[in-house]
Amino acid sequence: MTAAHADFDEARSTLIVSGDWHADTASVLPPLDGKTVRVIDGAGVTRLDTNGAWLLLNAVRPQAGAPLPALQAFQPRHRAILELVDRHSAASAAQPEHRCENVLASAGRGALTMATHALGLLDFVGRLFAELLTLLGKPGSWRWREFASQVSLVFVGAIPIVISMMFLLGVVFAYLLGDQAKQYGANIFVVDGLLLAILREISPIIVAVLVAGRTGAAITAQLGTMKVTEEIDALTTLGLSPLAVLVIPRMLALLLAMPLLVFIGDIAGIAGGMLVAQLQLDISYSMFLDRVQDVIQLKTLLVGLGKTPVFAMFIALIACRMGLSVTRDARSVGVNTTSTVVQSLVAIIILNAIFVVMFVRLDI
Amino acid sequence: MARMAEPVAESVIEVRDVSTTLGGRSIHRGLSLSVARGEVIALIGGSGTGKSVLLREIIGLLRPRTGSIDLFGQSVLDSSGEQMNLLRRRFGVLFQDGALFSSLTVEDNVATPLFEHTNLPHAICRQLARLKLALVGLAPDVAARQPSTLSGGMRKRVALARALALDPELLFLDEPTSGLDPISARAFDALIRLLADSLGLTVFLVTHDLDTLFSIIDRVIVLADGRVLGSGTVAELRHIDDPWLNDYFAARASEGETRHGT
Repeated sequence: MTAAHADFDEARSTLIVSGDWHADTASVLPPLDGKTVRVIDGAGVTRLDTNGAWLLLNAVRPQAGAPLPALQAFQPRHRAILELVDRHSAASAAQPEHRCENVLASAGRGALTMATHALGLLDFVGRLFAELLTLLGKPGSWRWREFASQVSLVFVGAIPIVISMMFLLGVVFAYLLGDQAKQYGANIFVVDGLLLAILREISPIIVAVLVAGRTGAAITAQLGTMKVTEEIDALTTLGLSPLAVLVIPRMLALLLAMPLLVFIGDIAGIAGGMLVAQLQLDISYSMFLDRVQDVIQLKTLLVGLGKTPVFAMFIALIACRMGLSVTRDARSVGVNTTSTVVQSLVAIIILNAIFVVMFVRLDI
Repeated sequence: MARMAEPVAESVIEVRDVSTTLGGRSIHRGLSLSVARGEVIALIGGSGTGKSVLLREIIGLLRPRTGSIDLFGQSVLDSSGEQMNLLRRRFGVLFQDGALFSSLTVEDNVATPLFEHTNLPHAICRQLARLKLALVGLAPDVAARQPSTLSGGMRKRVALARALALDPELLFLDEPTSGLDPISARAFDALIRLLADSLGLTVFLVTHDLDTLFSIIDRVIVLADGRVLGSGTVAELRHIDDPWLNDYFAARASEGETRHGT
C-alpha cells in the first residue's frame, strides 16, 4: 500500500499522480486554482478503482462534460477504468430532484391521510360485518383453533402483567387515599373510594391501555409481516378470506379476553388496597370485606365491565386494519404498529370520556 | 474473454475441510474449495446441499463447526471484529432479494457504505453513488426514488451498485437472476461479466440458472453430499456421472452444446 500522491507541473500543464487511488486516499490533490490540466501522467499509479478515478477526474475537471485531459503512461487497466468512469460521469453530476414540501402541502397531505384512514376504517368495518353475517350462516367455517390460540395469547399471556400492575396501583391508590382519610378519622371510607375508582375507571382503562400496547401492537406487527411476505395474498388465492381466518378470531378473542382481564384486574387492585388498609389504616381483612359487601353495588362492577367490550372492539379493529394496510416494506410495519398503539390509546380515552358523560346523564 | 481459470494465481477464497451442522442436520462434510483472483465462479447443487449456507459462512454471517475459511489470505473465523470490518470493505455482497434499506432512497442506499467507511463529504458520496448507478445501467432519475417503487430487475441493479460502492475486489452474488424474467436475467448476466472484466473483479455466485452457467462463468463448482463433487468448465462437468448433474444438464442437453463456447 502506497499513499496517493499528486504533483502539478505547471510548465507542462501536467498532473503527475502516483500511489493507490481509492475512496480513502484520493483526497490529497493539490489545489489547482482553476489551472487547466492538459495531461495526466499516471506512470506511478499502483492501484486505481472507480471511486479513485472519479475523484481524480472530478478534481481536474471543475465542470462535468469538459474534455478529458490526455492520459499518459497509465497501465492499460487503469486507463480502461478512467475511461469507463468518464463515460458515466455525466450521470453522477446530474442532481436528481429532491422534493421539499412546504408546511401547507404537508399539512394538506396529513389531513388527507387522516381522512383516508377514517374512510378505510369505515370500509373495513363494513366488510368485516358482511363477513360476520356470512359466517353466521356457516357455523362450520368458524376458526375455533385460531380463536383458541388467540385467547391463550391475549388472555392467558396477559394475566401476570395485569395482576402485578393492578395490585401495585391498588396499593398506591389506597396508600394516598388513606393518608388523606386518616386526618379526618375516616379510615373506613378508603374502601368506598378505592372500590369506586378501581372498578369503574382504573381497571378498565389500565387494562385497555395494556392490551392496546401488548396485543394491538402484536396483531399489527404479525398481520403486517404476513402482508410483507405475501401470506395474506396466498390466503386469498386459496379462496380463504383473511377477514374470516385472521381478523374475526382475533376480534372475538379480544372481546372475550378484555372483560375477563378487567375482572382479574379488579380483584388484584382490591387485594392491593386491602393489604395497605390493614398495614396503614388498621382495617382488618374481614372488616374490609364487610365494608365491600355493604357499599358495593353490582352496578358499579357492571359499569366498569360494560365498557370493556367496546374498548376491545376498537383495539381489534384498529390493530387488524393497520396490519392489513401495511405496504411491502419493512418500515411500513414499524410505522403502522406505532400508529395502532397511538390510535388505540386515543380511542380508549375518547370512548371513556363519552361513557362517563353518558353514565352521569343516565344517572347510573 | 478469459474463459479458463489461471493455473496457480493468488487465491482469493480458500475453504478447507469445512463441516457444518445446522439444527442437528449435517450440511457440509469436509468441504474444500479455492477461488483464484479474477475468476468468475458459480456454485451449483441441488436444493438443501448448503450452497447459501456456504456463502453465508464465507462472508462471516455463519460459523462452520470445524474447518477454516480464508479471504485474501486472512482467516474469517479467527479475525477480530476490527480485522473483519477491514476485510468486509474488500468484498461486496448481493443478497437474493436485493435487501435494500427500505427507509432510504436509492441514492442513499448506494451511498451508505461510502458514508460509513470513508471520510468523503456526503455530497461527494452521493455523486459517487450516482456514478455506480450509471455503471449498473440505471437512469439518473432512479436515484431519488424509494426502493419499494422499483421493479425486481431494478432492485437487483441497485443492490449491485451498493455492493460495488466501495470498489470491492471480490463480489458475492446469491442467486443473482432468480425472480427476473429471462430478458432481464440475461442483461444482468452480461452486466456482471462486463463489470467483472472492466473492474477486474473476482465473482463468486450461487445460482440455479443454466443460462448464467453457459454464458458468463469461468468455472463451476458442484456441491453434493456435503462435499465438492466436481469443479471445472461446463464441458468438463458433463463427464461426471452423477444422477443430479445428469438431470440438471439433461434439461438443456441439445441447446447447451450449441451455446457453449460462444
